[in-house]
Amino acid sequence: MPTAPLTRTVPWAAVTRRGVLGWIGPGLLVLALLFPAAAGAFYLRLAIEALLLGAIALSVDILLGFAGLLSLGQAMYFGLAAYLTALCYLHLTQSFWLVAAIVIAAVALVAVLLGAVAIRAKGVYFALITFGAAEIAGKVVHNTRALGGSDGLIGIPVPSIGLPGFALPLRNDLVFYYVVLVAVTLAFIGVRRLLATPFGSVLSAIRDNAIRVPYLGYNPFWYKLVAYLIAAEVAALGGLFYPLLRGFVGPDLFGFDISTQSVVMALVGGIGTLIGPLVGGVVVTLLQSVLGSYTERHLFVLGLVFILFVRFLPGGLFGLLRRDEPP
Amino acid sequence: MPEILPYLHFVVLPQVIDGLIIGVALALMALGLTMIFGLLDVINLAHGEIYMVGGYAALTLIGWGAGYWGALVFVPVIAGLAGWALEDFGIRPLLPRGDRAVVTLLLTFGVSLVLRDLAQVAFGTETYSIAAPVSGVAFLADVPVPLYRVFVLVTGVATILVTWWLVYRTRIGAALRATAADPDMTASFGIPVRLVYGATFFYGCALAGLASVLLSPIYAVFPTMGHDFLVLAFAVVIVGGMGSIPGAVIAALLLAQVHGLASLWIPPVWAETLVYGVMMLVLVGRPAGLFSRIGEA
Amino acid sequence: MIEVRGLCKSFGALHAVSDLEFTAPEGRITSIIGPNGAGKSTLFNLIAGTLAPDAGRIVLGGRDVTGLPAYELARLGLARSFQITNLFFGLSALENVRLAAQAHEARRRFFSRLERLAAPAERARAVLAEFGIAELAGEPVANLSHGDQRRLEIAVCMASRPRVLLLDEPTQGMSPAETLAIDQLIKSLTGRVTVLMVEHDVDLVMSISDQVIVMHQGQKLFAGPPDQARNSSAVRGAYLGADHAAA
Repeated sequence: MPTAPLTRTVPWAAVTRRGVLGWIGPGLLVLALLFPAAAGAFYLRLAIEALLLGAIALSVDILLGFAGLLSLGQAMYFGLAAYLTALCYLHLTQSFWLVAAIVIAAVALVAVLLGAVAIRAKGVYFALITFGAAEIAGKVVHNTRALGGSDGLIGIPVPSIGLPGFALPLRNDLVFYYVVLVAVTLAFIGVRRLLATPFGSVLSAIRDNAIRVPYLGYNPFWYKLVAYLIAAEVAALGGLFYPLLRGFVGPDLFGFDISTQSVVMALVGGIGTLIGPLVGGVVVTLLQSVLGSYTERHLFVLGLVFILFVRFLPGGLFGLLRRDEPP
Repeated sequence: MPEILPYLHFVVLPQVIDGLIIGVALALMALGLTMIFGLLDVINLAHGEIYMVGGYAALTLIGWGAGYWGALVFVPVIAGLAGWALEDFGIRPLLPRGDRAVVTLLLTFGVSLVLRDLAQVAFGTETYSIAAPVSGVAFLADVPVPLYRVFVLVTGVATILVTWWLVYRTRIGAALRATAADPDMTASFGIPVRLVYGATFFYGCALAGLASVLLSPIYAVFPTMGHDFLVLAFAVVIVGGMGSIPGAVIAALLLAQVHGLASLWIPPVWAETLVYGVMMLVLVGRPAGLFSRIGEA
Repeated sequence: MIEVRGLCKSFGALHAVSDLEFTAPEGRITSIIGPNGAGKSTLFNLIAGTLAPDAGRIVLGGRDVTGLPAYELARLGLARSFQITNLFFGLSALENVRLAAQAHEARRRFFSRLERLAAPAERARAVLAEFGIAELAGEPVANLSHGDQRRLEIAVCMASRPRVLLLDEPTQGMSPAETLAIDQLIKSLTGRVTVLMVEHDVDLVMSISDQVIVMHQGQKLFAGPPDQARNSSAVRGAYLGADHAAA
């Protein structure tokens, strides 16, 4: 049987084009805005989790779908952001904005340093370096008593987001849900805007044929590094809220399972579509939870779904909708 | 310093010997991974679960009365067949694709989840132990070593030598190396490349099965037994150079020593972290590992 | 326009390029010919920044550019084509050309919206029209015929308005009719850009070149106008073997 490539060449033009895909985004946003009216407390919290994990899937898509880089360690930035957030609220400040600034700065620093190393390595070695770095970060946290060791950090206070004239109490699940929805939506729009630029078009050229790019006058290193930095910050967005949802953080947040699960989410939704991975995040989280309540065997089903998608539906759910037209 | 010699002899040397035994078993695991990658560009994330399948197969066979020695013979065959099936049904249709390194990695990850969960369905989450077939203690340079570990060492070294002989001294090995270097050219000579791929998967997974039977009496059998071991084997393959056969063996012995010796002076959990630290340093300094890929000069 | 001074490159014991010297004059077509293994490809890779030379200098428009990476050379006005078609096969023909134009016309606006950057797109369309493939603008490159792909390869180079154009066997794998068309196309570039070309088709080389350089075993055997090259005994020797040269 003919096999379509996993990463369809859908750079800037298709992303911005107002096709079927163009209206799915706003449609889904409306559904998401109305969702709390229909959902109980359990599903509201599950939806928050899905959005936060979807952010990691989005970050995987920025790298794999646009720069052609498979990261097996995006959970590292999720974990790093989650631990920093937890530590800040526990010991430093209750100001959401200050914590956000600290997290963004720290993640940028780590992403630039690690990215500069990882991007110089070619092909599969990029995947291995990102995997190795995340593994080390997880182990270090696991072994450090000051960071709670294998137990993690518990009892993280939930702050309110201070805005001019009023504050948004994240303790309220409904407020929390809308804050996360707005944050993830803004991240999505920001990323889409960023890729609909000459920068984004060079990234798609790099993914298509990296060897040719320097002869046009572009240094691929900087483009990949910027993409890596953006992806790290998007994954960190999930980590900025996750501790407030759960009240604790553990070393598994850095883990291989979250990294690979986010690749699954991106794959299920459709790599190279940006919106697909967010939807994939919701679908996979829901699937895991629903299956988890009926059967112990949710890993089995997750694995099976994964195999079937790789094997038969490599374009993901959104790959079905999208006609195969080049920009 | 008169204490230094006894310290080396009775503290360091036993650790070195232990590291050697673990290193040899680790090398078996890494050899399979590196051969599969060297030939097919496939990072087999299900390799750890093949190792786990080997553990449960040994447990079942021994339960049926085949005995340890029966398991030692049959488990590698079972693991090899599992690998062959994985190649045939899962990997093969994906090989023509340009992004096969990525898609096969994702596919084998899916397979690993399914196998791990199936093991839980069939055997539960309990930890089973397998009795060592030989008891007694041997003395290597006055250091007491359980006889079974000596057996593991000898079997492992023999297997590594056989693998080396197969790859570098036989016609099958020549076909394998030629396929790694240029599959299209090799196919045009009438060598059945597909069969070479299948055989590589069979042999690589059989090695994981063998490692599993050898290590089960030392480490026990449980559903996630393959997962942690796989991550370690990956560190080995990365340090040795993805696709390098001598690299896998040398790096396995080296990293096992790093881990074992470091455990003398720092907590074992940090020793494990150190192994990954070494891996990252190698990747930064020599991104393609210490040795070159099979089929390349 | 482009000068090569004492250029050397060895791979182990093999001296792929040794002590090579020549000048490709501004706005003219200079062709490099020679038997297989003469070092032509290595020379191209040295000039384009793919390889770093062991010794010697490369001077582009009066500036020493030896050892600069490929992307720096491209920014300084050097464009190259490839012997085996090397394009963005998943992207459209227009996008291929637009990417080349964009690198030189939109440097400081890398995070502007693409729709607002009309100049590179207009330039790309103009180049496609000039090369006679305007109607293929929306086609993915993978769907183009071999001949159209070879055309596009040169179009991509020209979209960046290069000062120096390196063409690596531009007619490789083409039919005689297609070869003739490319021949005319390259000739029409005279005066606009300095062309340095490696080509196997000796007839093509002789008909369009202003200067011919003959390489043999990494060394320059001859440099001069095409009609002199045809009559040089050294050139015949390199192609036909030492016996003929002596005779």
